Amino acid sequence: MSDPLNLVFGALADPSRRQVIGYLSECGTATATELTGELPMTRQAVSKHLTALADAGLVESERQGREMRYRLTEAGTEWDDRLDSLRKHLERRKN
Amino acid sequence: MIQKEIVLPAPREEVWEALTDPDRLEDWFANSVELDLRPGGGASFRWSNGEERHATFTEVDPGRRLAFDWEDDGAVEFTLDDDAEGTLLTVVESSPSWSTALELQASAFALV
Repeated sequence: MSDPLNLVFGALADPSRRQVIGYLSECGTATATELTGELPMTRQAVSKHLTALADAGLVESERQGREMRYRLTEAGTEWDDRLDSLRKHLERRKN
Repeated sequence: MIQKEIVLPAPREEVWEALTDPDRLEDWFANSVELDLRPGGGASFRWSNGEERHATFTEVDPGRRLAFDWEDDGAVEFTLDDDAEGTLLTVVESSPSWSTALELQASAFALV
């Protein structure tokens, strides 16, 4: 219980990381390159902050070409995938 | 707490079957499913990546409601309602250990 909470508190304690969260919540997704262009920090700092946010479960990423694209984690995406599979399962049975 | 709703293109009886028949669950939920469908009965789900989860049914009301507790963490409730296009399925998952972190995260996102 205390571990995930500590990670979340720690991740949110840093003003630069809150800027990263602010940008992602406004723009939806971003790569480290895009964040470096938009925010007053170095590429290295952006990468470090994204890692801390990902460790806390606040952002998730997927590979896009040579870069990773980041977005804020949304609770319950697991169920979106499962319910989508269930809908497809029922459609298959119909046909 | 997570709540999700979906309208499914099938009558409640069929959605119930898709949620409770191991053969059907193996087509959309997990790779291997064993169930003892009664309150207090157990369920085992195995996935091809080696993941395995166990649960205990807490409510079995055919065609209407199905609820179980995950052995590791949390509880899931399915509620089935009639809908003009088929069935409205509502899923609620609650988990004591991560709910606080998620709620905190939601309020943190609202503040920045």
